[in-house]
Amino acid sequence: MANEIILEAKNIYKSFSGVPVLQDVHFEVRKGEVHALMGENGAGKSTLIKIITGVYSKDAGSIWWEGKEVQVSSYADVQKLGIACIYQELSVEPPLTVAQNVFLGREPRKFGLIDHKKMIKDTEALIKQYGFPLKATDLVSNLGIGLRQLVEILKGLSCDSKLLIMDEPTASLSGKEAESLFGIIEKLREKEVSIIYISHRLEEVYRLSDRLTVLRNGKNAAVLNHDEIEPRKVIKTMIGKEVDESAGSAKEMRTNPNEVVLDVKDFSDDIGRFKNVSFQAHKGEILGFGGLIGAGRTELMRAIYGIDKHKSGTATLNGVELKYTAKSSIQAGFGFVPEDRRNQGFIPLLSTVKNVALTNYDIIKASGPSISDKDERDMGIRAIKQIDIRPDNPDKEVGLMSGGNQQKVVLGKWIMRDLKVLIVDEPTAGIDVGAKDQIYAILEDLAKQGVVVILVTSDLQELIRVSHRILVMRKGSIIKEFNSGVVTQSMVLEAGSGIVD
Amino acid sequence: MKKLTLNQLSKPIILVAFFLILTILRPSSFLSASNLGNVLWSVSVYGIMVSGTIFVFLLGGIDLSIGSLCGLTAVTCVMTIRHFNYSTTGVLLGILLTLGVGLLAGLVHGVIITTFKVPAFLVTFATQIIFLGLSMIFTNNKILSCQNPPAFTMIGKNPVPIILMIIAAAISWFVLRKTATGRYVYAVGGNPQAAAISGISVTKITIMAYMISGFTTAIGGIVLASMTQQCMASTGSGYEQFVIMAGVIGGISLLGGEGTVPGAIFGAVIIGLLQNGLNLMSVPSTQHGLVRGIVIIAAVGFDALQRDPAFQGWLAKRKQARAKNA
Amino acid sequence: MKQQNLRRIISLGMLLVLVALFSALSKYFLNPNNLLEIIRDAAVPGIIGVGVTYVIITAGIDLSTGAEMALVAMVMANIYRYTLIPIPIMILVGILVGLLCGLFNGIIVAKLHLPEFIGTLATMGIFRAITYIIAIKENGTITSQPMKAYSYAILGKGFGRIYFVTIAFIVISVIGQIVLKNTRFGTNLYSVGANPKAAELSGINIARTRIIAYVIVGFCAALGAIFTTARLQSTTALLGDGFEFNPIAASVIGGVSLAGGYGDILGTFIGAIFMAALENGVLKLQMNTAYQYVIKGCIIIAVVIFDAWFNSVMEKRAQEAAAGGKEE
Repeated sequence: MANEIILEAKNIYKSFSGVPVLQDVHFEVRKGEVHALMGENGAGKSTLIKIITGVYSKDAGSIWWEGKEVQVSSYADVQKLGIACIYQELSVEPPLTVAQNVFLGREPRKFGLIDHKKMIKDTEALIKQYGFPLKATDLVSNLGIGLRQLVEILKGLSCDSKLLIMDEPTASLSGKEAESLFGIIEKLREKEVSIIYISHRLEEVYRLSDRLTVLRNGKNAAVLNHDEIEPRKVIKTMIGKEVDESAGSAKEMRTNPNEVVLDVKDFSDDIGRFKNVSFQAHKGEILGFGGLIGAGRTELMRAIYGIDKHKSGTATLNGVELKYTAKSSIQAGFGFVPEDRRNQGFIPLLSTVKNVALTNYDIIKASGPSISDKDERDMGIRAIKQIDIRPDNPDKEVGLMSGGNQQKVVLGKWIMRDLKVLIVDEPTAGIDVGAKDQIYAILEDLAKQGVVVILVTSDLQELIRVSHRILVMRKGSIIKEFNSGVVTQSMVLEAGSGIVD
Repeated sequence: MKKLTLNQLSKPIILVAFFLILTILRPSSFLSASNLGNVLWSVSVYGIMVSGTIFVFLLGGIDLSIGSLCGLTAVTCVMTIRHFNYSTTGVLLGILLTLGVGLLAGLVHGVIITTFKVPAFLVTFATQIIFLGLSMIFTNNKILSCQNPPAFTMIGKNPVPIILMIIAAAISWFVLRKTATGRYVYAVGGNPQAAAISGISVTKITIMAYMISGFTTAIGGIVLASMTQQCMASTGSGYEQFVIMAGVIGGISLLGGEGTVPGAIFGAVIIGLLQNGLNLMSVPSTQHGLVRGIVIIAAVGFDALQRDPAFQGWLAKRKQARAKNA
Repeated sequence: MKQQNLRRIISLGMLLVLVALFSALSKYFLNPNNLLEIIRDAAVPGIIGVGVTYVIITAGIDLSTGAEMALVAMVMANIYRYTLIPIPIMILVGILVGLLCGLFNGIIVAKLHLPEFIGTLATMGIFRAITYIIAIKENGTITSQPMKAYSYAILGKGFGRIYFVTIAFIVISVIGQIVLKNTRFGTNLYSVGANPKAAELSGINIARTRIIAYVIVGFCAALGAIFTTARLQSTTALLGDGFEFNPIAASVIGGVSLAGGYGDILGTFIGAIFMAALENGVLKLQMNTAYQYVIKGCIIIAVVIFDAWFNSVMEKRAQEAAAGGKEE
């Protein structure tokens, strides 16, 4: 019984524009087990899930459901099989009640009208069966994010789903909410519902999963049983060899002896996304910020730069307190490369020249109000040369470029300025290897010129390779500093997961 | 030297085509000096107004109130002149007051939209009837004529409106094309979040855009009043549609971030020609809405269709299929 | 207290304040006959408001309702004048015209992806222009067309002061509310407006839902045209000019969110009565009708601002509640 395999993906291959993302991946889920899926960013987890849920087509391989080979080409197909996916971006309808959400699109009817009584009764029965802290008549708009997630799980269960896929389900939950979710997962396991649990959080995986599949670089790295799941071992499996010859597996950290440029003291916001954070950054230093997604790094940086508000604490640049507005920070010598490149990084309809010039009209020549087109253009061309954008058409709309070039344009506008501090948040997410190396070179170059570079990244290899010193955040606080000795990816990941010696 | 593409040439081609069609259909009346003067006359008001409203369009906003604001400003101007017994001082004061009313209306729009984060179309939809109501109250629902002094009536006589349009368009073009502020307008319209991170005040730019829209609407109101030498509450009614159409035909995306002043002026000329053509063919003005509506649906619909990912996918597929066949 | 209930109490409170205000200012305001008159005046915008509420719940808007009314009425007037087609069939044709207008709007918005307010602004011009084209002319000038047949004019009357239109208003509002709350279509309207992605994942056809909503607006506008012209016993090409504002205003005052997803017919019902009471009161105070425009516009802006503020306060409260739960 316990060994009955409900879902099996065999020999899955997938590549995007020639780059292999999954190679000969094998993945199986048994009936009633919680099967965790882990791997570094880019290891191929989400691609695998998208193939299983019919969002992507596979290049080769086969998917078996309850012993039969199946072809899935849309999420609707998958739902019919009895698989439900709980999306990170919740797909619930806030104006409707729990019952209405659960039965959305297939409400029970009587004489053409929705049979509310039956719908509520059925929902209550489901809620009772699984012991969820919900009421069928609750309006979803009045529920917190954790409970909304339960509504979505309930929706999956109501379709008699035998397999639930949860992608980073605790990413936006509070501790309490996560705790109650774990309880529910335990109950679902008792009811023989299988769960694929994707998470970066080792402690959750350790606690919940019966088995764990680890992917590394698009290949199977290991399948571990519960008693084999040992945090340090998992981390090693995810990363590969503990000390690798290649750059970025381990590096000696150091403390920069130069003067302090940026001094942040007791920074907190009003809802605890970051709490009493203090750190200093020295001239010419690349200061890496490690930690899991949701640890509060992005929120902290946005608040220091002045896009979001903070509640208490100070940030001073060369002894002068910042004014916490983007404009004043830029004038003081800040640059900021946001995490969400597509939505916050650049103006898609404008050319490279105009995107690069956007923050720099104070230094572009002008006669009266009229800016010098030539000077603006020269700056764009200079940026293209300095950061090596190819093809080097300065008039091409940035929205039409590749991710790597887009990021170079975002960086380009800052390196045209006299920078003192540059904050870069996930600078190489979704960017090809060649462009990555170039971006690292730019950051290193800036540091040599005395700029403080603050690097927020979830890519461990990048963090270790580029940073001079690393701070690790967890749940809104800095819990570990690596400022000397050889530091490995495992050490950073352990710190980020709360394993601190 | 850049190559001219068919796309770039399409506007002049359309313009020439329009001219030819009208010339062929109504050879004697269309090409007469007085008719061409009329065309320019009506084009100039749309041109002046769209030169300012383009700022709002570029931000992805909308100003539905410009028609009735045009009326309110015309009323303000005429009433001030009448109050000062048709004196030249009155004209001067009237113009200043009118421009002030336009700016104030824009300020109110901008502040409400940015402070409370409410949809622009709703706010300007509401102010549209407020302005109309105010005009009705001020005029007591009567036509106010104003045939004096010459300082006023000359504003509406050719070529003054055309010169005003050229000046308005030139300034607008200069600001949008040559100044940092203009760059910021495109940036905010194209991606407000990225613009904010780049240190641009989205609030300031938005308020400014609505004020400019109000300002050029006021100029339009003055010119319109002077042209007709009268005003009433319904002066300028429906002009928001002409201006939106001019913009859309001129290649302005109502989603923001895209469009140019020459394009908008081209749109204004096309609207002027279209209307003139309909008039020459004795189509009553009450029926112009049919043509207007179809043009808007065609122009915006085509624009929206081009942005539709499904349509893009379809195009790409067709391209692929063709490549395979070839 | 639940947000929705609170909002309902606020709109009812606003109505009561308005009634109290006018009652204090004019002795002609608060008497049964006048109140019945107010409800009758609320009926046509209220009936159209049912459809408009549906559209707004899907996060859309319809600016063409006034022109739809005019077109429906003018088609019927032509039938009335030039044919021997019996009145009931004429009415059916009128309703069919309304449905077609709505279908046209729906296709433009849901299939051609025009922004709702631009698309319906364009059709407003188109419907009005067609009305003028088919308008009845005497010696070349457009005149108002009388429609005095007893079997038609009866629709403009009622049992004493209980007008048929008032009854229709109540009946259609009740049906509208039942459809909204008790059918799959009604639920779909909310889900399309609040989270279209989720609606799609649940297998809801978004385009079809939106088109049907516009068709219902067309139906309601046709009913509005029928009751209005039956009462006036005539129609003109100008019928319903500027009228599109009223059902939207009624919805907004009644708490229907223009961002989509929230509101119901009961709210719009209250909103329609509020607007009618406002108009009636302004008349009773013998103010120039122009003041109505100004007051209406200001009230809309005030309500829109209030709603924006109200929603942000509610959101903040929800956030704080969630953050409170975060303390471990």
